[in-house]
This record gives sequence, C-alpha cells and structure tokens, in this order.
Amino acid sequence: MSKESKRRGPGSSDNPPDLKKERDQFLQSFSKGAKLTEEFVKEHEQLQKKLLELEAENTRLRATLEADAAIRDLLQKIEDLEQEKRDLLSRYREAQAVSTKVSRRFHEVETEFANLANLFVASNQLHSSMSPRGVTRRIKEVLAQLVGAERYCMYLANAEGTELVPIASEGIPGERLMSLHVDGTEIGEVFKSGQAVVDEDRDPSQGTLDRPSAVVPLSVDDKVVGVIAIFATLSQKKKFDTIDFELFKLLGQHAAAALVAASLFAQAERKLPGLEAFLDLSV
Amino acid sequence: MAEYSCLIVEDSPMMRQLLVFALARVKNLRVTEADDGVDGLRKLASARYDIIVTDINMPIMDGLKLVKRVRSDPVHKDTPIVIITTEGSQEDRQRALQLGANAYITKPIQAPQVIATVKELLKLE
Repeated sequence: MSKESKRRGPGSSDNPPDLKKERDQFLQSFSKGAKLTEEFVKEHEQLQKKLLELEAENTRLRATLEADAAIRDLLQKIEDLEQEKRDLLSRYREAQAVSTKVSRRFHEVETEFANLANLFVASNQLHSSMSPRGVTRRIKEVLAQLVGAERYCMYLANAEGTELVPIASEGIPGERLMSLHVDGTEIGEVFKSGQAVVDEDRDPSQGTLDRPSAVVPLSVDDKVVGVIAIFATLSQKKKFDTIDFELFKLLGQHAAAALVAASLFAQAERKLPGLEAFLDLSV
Repeated sequence: MAEYSCLIVEDSPMMRQLLVFALARVKNLRVTEADDGVDGLRKLASARYDIIVTDINMPIMDGLKLVKRVRSDPVHKDTPIVIITTEGSQEDRQRALQLGANAYITKPIQAPQVIATVKELLKLE
C-alpha cells in the first residue's frame, strides 16, 4: 500500500484502519446479502410455485364453474322436458279418454244397428209369405236363428179359449206334444194374462218342458190368440239379451197376425180382394 | 280403393238377408248370395271371390262338402272360408277347420262378430 493510500484510506484518522474488522464486517454484510438473496430466490421460487398452483386452481375453478353452468342448463332442460312429458301425458290421457268414449259409442251404435237389422229381417220375413206353412216356417226360423231357441212350441187357442193346441214345434218329443189346459198351467197363465214371462235368473239353455225359459203371448188386434213357449235355447246361449226381448215383442205382435192373414188368404183360395174392399178406407 | 267380393252360401232366406245386412257395413265389399252348396259352386266357377261365408246345414250340398270342394279347386283353394253353424259342438267345428275352413261363427249370429271375422280374414282395418 502506498503512502498516499495510507493517508487517505478509510478510517483515515489518527488510528490506522482496522482492515480486518472492516473485512469481517464486509464479509458479514456480504454473507447476509447472499443469505438474503438466497432467501429471496427461495421465496421467489415458492411464490412461482404458489402462482402455478393458484393458476391451476383458478383453471380448475373456472372449469368447475363452467361445468356447474352446464349442469344448471341440463337440469333446466330436464325440467323443461319433464314438463313437456307431463303435458304430453295429460294430452294423451285426454285423447285416450275421448277415444275410449268414441269406441264405446261406436260399439253401442254397431250393436244397435245389429239389433235393428235383426228386427227388420224378422219382421220382413214374417210378412214375406202368404201361406200359413210359409209363415210358420219363418216363425220357426226367427226362433231358431235369431233367438237361438232349440226346443220350443207355438200354441194357438181353441175357439172357446180353454185349450192351447200345438201347431208348430222343434225339439219336443211327440208324446209331450199335446194340448194344454189354459187353467192351471204356466203357459196357460201367460195366455190369460197376455204378459210374457221370461225366467231371467236361470240359464235359458237349461230350461225344461215343465219349466220353460220364456213364454210369449201372441196377439191379433190386441186379442191374445196363442203363445210361444221356449223350453230351452241352444247350449251356447246362456242368457236372453235386449234384442231377444225385442224379438219376443215383435213375434207377439206380428207372428199371429201374419199367420191369420195367410190363413184367410189361403181360405180365399189366394184371391186378392177386389178394389171395392179398399174404397171405404179413407179416414 | 280395392274392392272385395264375398260369397254367402246359405239356404235360409232370413239368414242370407241378415248376413247381407251385416256385411253391408264392410266398406268396398260386394256380396253375392247362393242358396246352397251346389249354387255356391256354380257361382264360384264363374267368378273369383275374396271370401266365402257358408252355413253348414244345407240341403243338396252341405257346408262341409262345399269346403272340401273349394279346397280342391286350384282357383279358390286359398280363399278364406267362414263357417256358420247352429251346432255348438267342438266336433263339428274341428271337422270344418280340418277340411280347411279358416273361421267359424256359431248361431245365433251377431252382426258385429260376422263383420269382425270377415274384416280379419280380409286383413281390413
């Protein structure tokens, strides 16, 4: 070291500078600085790491938020679809109720049509013959084909109205085919009262000759002239329906009248009445 | 729209009338009537039919014989046949079905049942 530096150097005083101490202090300061720098570096690294973590967390949170929004949308969509489904089901049920009602009504109309067709055909057939045999055959057809009668007999009353004479029958043994007294018999009672009797509590196919399933009075011009007794129906016919009651009514009102008209026509040797017979008909 | 033809073979005029009434409810179905099996065969020889409805008990030629004859006829061997019978017995139905009938209806007939059977065999709505 030069003299100059010895004069102007640090701690230039009267005492010589304590270089060692200064060096130590410097080293200490440097060491502190280095330590501090190290700590800063470490802290910086930690902060960097933390920052990365936070960024990752941020990304994750953003993703979660987006997913939540998507879920909310989906939930809303599900709710909307559920509502739509409820509306559709409600409309479907309404439509189904209407359809059921229409089907029921259609079935009723079809049944009514079928019944009317049966009545029309029966009436048409009863009056389509002008021979007593032809009318009788048609009465038997109505009973067998439309009512489903298997064993039956048509009786007409004698002139005194005391006996019922069988004039047409089916499924009845010859020995049981006999005239009946009006008094004291179930069939005779129907003749006297003019009221049909139908056993609705019993299976009509199980009727017997002693206990008929249905007895229908036959009238001409409001006068009872005979009866039809149905002893048993075909085995597959287990009950009388509405149409059967209508057919009984039709037979009661038309069968005997057709038979009487055909008999009178036969008696007149199938001659049609002259025009003079119709001249006084104006009312 | 396609038109179908039906042959009714029935000796009873009343039953024929009733069947015609019932089948008039089937749209586009033209109905022809025959008095018995022989008359039925005569009509089958002169025209084609999409379906045959026949009674079993008939004079001259009964429904079972008619079914047998129809099934041996190359023109009508596949024509659906509906049997109408007063017999409730299983035996009679079996015989008819064995001979080739496609369906049976037991008397007393109900128009809705006749309509439904014919529609089903013709594959109509």
